[in-house]
Amino acid sequence: MNASVYFQGGTLVLHQSQDIDNINAKDGTDDTWEVPAPFQFIKGRWRCEAYHYPSVREWMRQRDIRNNVARWQQLKLELHDSRELHDYQVKALTAWKEADGRGSIVLPTGAGKTLVATHAIQHVNASTVVLVPTMSLLYQWYALLTNAFQTEIGVYYGGEKRVLPLTVTTYHSAGDLIAGYGNTFKLFICDEVHHLPARTWGEAALMSPAPYRLGLTATYPEEYEQVGSRWRLDELIGPIVYRQGLETLVGKQLAEYRTQRMRVELNAEERAEYEAAHEIYMGYVRERNLPKKHGPGWLRELMRLSTKDARARRAWLARRQMLTLLESCQGKFTALEALLREHSGERILIFTESNAVAYKIAQQHLVPVISHETGMAERKHILDAFQAGNYSVIVTSKVLNEGVDVPEAKVAIVLGGGASKREYLQRLGRILRKKEPLQALLVELIVRNSIEEGKAQRRHATREKS
Amino acid sequence: MLTSDLIKPRLRIQGSSLLVEMVNEQNPALQQIARDIIALFHQHKGQTWAAWEEALHAYEGASLDYILIRGLAKVLADAATFTPIPTLLPPTTLRERVFAHGPVFSKPDMFHRKTREDVLQVVARESGLTPPELDEMLFADRHATYLLTDTGPDWTPSGLLARYNLELARGALYWASHITIEVSSNYKDLWKYIKLFKLMFWAEPKPEGGYRIDLDGPISPFVTSTLRYGRQLAAFLPALLLCEHWQMFASVFPPQGQGEKLYHLDHTSMLQSHFKNSGLFDSRLEADFAAEFEEKFGNTRGHWRMLRESDVLLLGDTVMVPDFLLVDTQDERRRILIELVGFWHPNYLRRKVEKVRAANCSHLLLLVYDGLKITAEAFEGVSSEVIFFKQKPVLKEVMETVEAMAERIYGPRQKPEPAPKTTKQKKPRKRKIVDISEHIQQRPDKKLRKVAEAPARYGDTE
Repeated sequence: MNASVYFQGGTLVLHQSQDIDNINAKDGTDDTWEVPAPFQFIKGRWRCEAYHYPSVREWMRQRDIRNNVARWQQLKLELHDSRELHDYQVKALTAWKEADGRGSIVLPTGAGKTLVATHAIQHVNASTVVLVPTMSLLYQWYALLTNAFQTEIGVYYGGEKRVLPLTVTTYHSAGDLIAGYGNTFKLFICDEVHHLPARTWGEAALMSPAPYRLGLTATYPEEYEQVGSRWRLDELIGPIVYRQGLETLVGKQLAEYRTQRMRVELNAEERAEYEAAHEIYMGYVRERNLPKKHGPGWLRELMRLSTKDARARRAWLARRQMLTLLESCQGKFTALEALLREHSGERILIFTESNAVAYKIAQQHLVPVISHETGMAERKHILDAFQAGNYSVIVTSKVLNEGVDVPEAKVAIVLGGGASKREYLQRLGRILRKKEPLQALLVELIVRNSIEEGKAQRRHATREKS
Repeated sequence: MLTSDLIKPRLRIQGSSLLVEMVNEQNPALQQIARDIIALFHQHKGQTWAAWEEALHAYEGASLDYILIRGLAKVLADAATFTPIPTLLPPTTLRERVFAHGPVFSKPDMFHRKTREDVLQVVARESGLTPPELDEMLFADRHATYLLTDTGPDWTPSGLLARYNLELARGALYWASHITIEVSSNYKDLWKYIKLFKLMFWAEPKPEGGYRIDLDGPISPFVTSTLRYGRQLAAFLPALLLCEHWQMFASVFPPQGQGEKLYHLDHTSMLQSHFKNSGLFDSRLEADFAAEFEEKFGNTRGHWRMLRESDVLLLGDTVMVPDFLLVDTQDERRRILIELVGFWHPNYLRRKVEKVRAANCSHLLLLVYDGLKITAEAFEGVSSEVIFFKQKPVLKEVMETVEAMAERIYGPRQKPEPAPKTTKQKKPRKRKIVDISEHIQQRPDKKLRKVAEAPARYGDTE
């Protein structure tokens, strides 16, 4: 009997090339053979999810079944990173190794989880895939791995698909990558692993045969938070192997900061346009009494109405027009120019709401822009040059939002921003994540007598409460 | 294909069914919108993507038809070509040079002695450009600055609306976990596209002829109602429309919630495919063989009728569709399959021999090219007949073998008797999975075959 197991789109399939007449076509049973769980006879073949690979490997060995699954490569990676591991990082790494290279490490934001990961890659020294939740993190890992191993790093996401022995992908694209190339990665790393149990994202972990798995997070989901999920993290990745709380680490690394709100005026023309739009918008909202009837979610209701009611649609468009106007009014550009002059030579990040405004600023002041359109190599170049001091200003629209290290920015200027507390805190956190205790500054530009004033207030209120 | 935000508003839930709200292609008002957008699009030939977007936005205004307008525009843009303006140096290089001087302002100050104009002047000179050229090329790699160079096919208003409807039907499948199709003729292209979009299928002959085919992907059995293959199923849909008679039942989980809904479509829908029917023959060898047969034995010159790829052999998790089926015109139970094994890669051939063995089919005749270095041994113990040929099969020899095979398998020929109709219908064989995704690499477009009205039979002929 000649048998092999191969990888197909995230599953393991048993191929028996014996005379098929001996096999009962209905349930695949064969007197001379016993196929263990987790294999199930489905669609004429014994199949199981690829993540069972480590548990069926022994059986394959015993039965002398050809292994056509593992296609990963041993590498000769050398770690070019002179940073020494902190005690807690060493402990985390050791714990993970002792758990046979399966499990999650829980460390607070900014505590150097990625450094632990590069050492884990170095330890396994085989082809590795890293999953991240956002594009910014994808770029960050790309840059990090490029520097750490001085080798070409693959990326796989909507805009670019290049698979190399070390490849970074987004949770969103991971399923496709793993379906096609799952069996080429021996180590499977999930950054911000608490995202993994999400409805479709967990499939990638299920579809990977990688025997080595590493999860990284600051906020491991509690038991009760996993109840409704499709998958449990410890099943997909392994147990928590190391956990270190925030309290022991915080203190030294966070710099002082202050926030400053700058109010700007609309010019006469803008004011007239704003008021006209505001009247259309608020007129409708008042007339329908939306906030009272629908509570805090009334904006959603307006959005819903705007798909079928002509007046609601005009109100919705008027609101959009107002927001565009507020973000790109002359006063903000003037104030921005003044701030750029004032903080000349300091490292400045400018945050915009829209792409259009980000590119307008880039064009006007000839400063580098990072948006979702920015290619990976260029983004790395910009951030490197910023770090090296060759660029002092970066303008960015929304993309640098989650957990990206932008080194030592001194000033952050927010031209327009969503009211979401999370986003706001992350922006703050970014300029605060510093090696030296420098006092950082966050400037918010707000149009006086506009709906922006309410928004900024809302942000500060939630911050004070939390 | 349309983005999901353009599909979602068009989905309607009615009980356990999902309906897609399509547009009436003949409605003059909608045709006018289509006509306007086509005209607007053509006006923007040579202009930037951003300009086109802006014009479309202006056209849309506060119209409540914005979902339709944007959908039509997406169909147009998808079929058109936007190209970046050519630059001598890559825009990233230009940006690096320029940004090295930033931030700059329109007026100089103590720390910024160079103005924007000065910087553009300097960098333009070192890059062999004029300042306005440099300004224009700075972001020439942004899609927004691409120029509309080819507007694509010549759309008529109703043609555009028809295509929009097809895209809506496809869009509903973005949220499909699996689909079941029933087809009873002309599947050649169906197989091709099932393979192309890497779907898994499970085929079952229907008693009345034709097949019921379940389509999903490898992980589907393990992840209940995964939507992982929705995009592939959507991409596949136009292939189904190439069949004459078909039905589709899709299990869809609409984004609005409410769980699983059934989306049904069949050949009475007005949807039109934009996929092309492929040609009849996969190789010169096959075409010549068929032509020679028609010339010498076709029509009334013999008692065999030649059918093209019309019987399927379901083999475990694979499928074999012999190139030709010869049916005795006087007794349709007498059937001989012919497979031409031409000039293919040795790996392909190895699999082919494996398949022939698995088929264990005595009414299959193999015509094997002799230059393949395949010895007769390889075919030893195979139930099928094998004839080797040097340049092309010798038709006379082939037909003599066919006669001999028929006599051996079915007994001597008799005077034609009108056979009762029921004898044509064989009991369907056991359910078999046919996983053709494995064969994509072997012969990209060879093994796409037509399935006969009669269900497959093999291994039971002696």
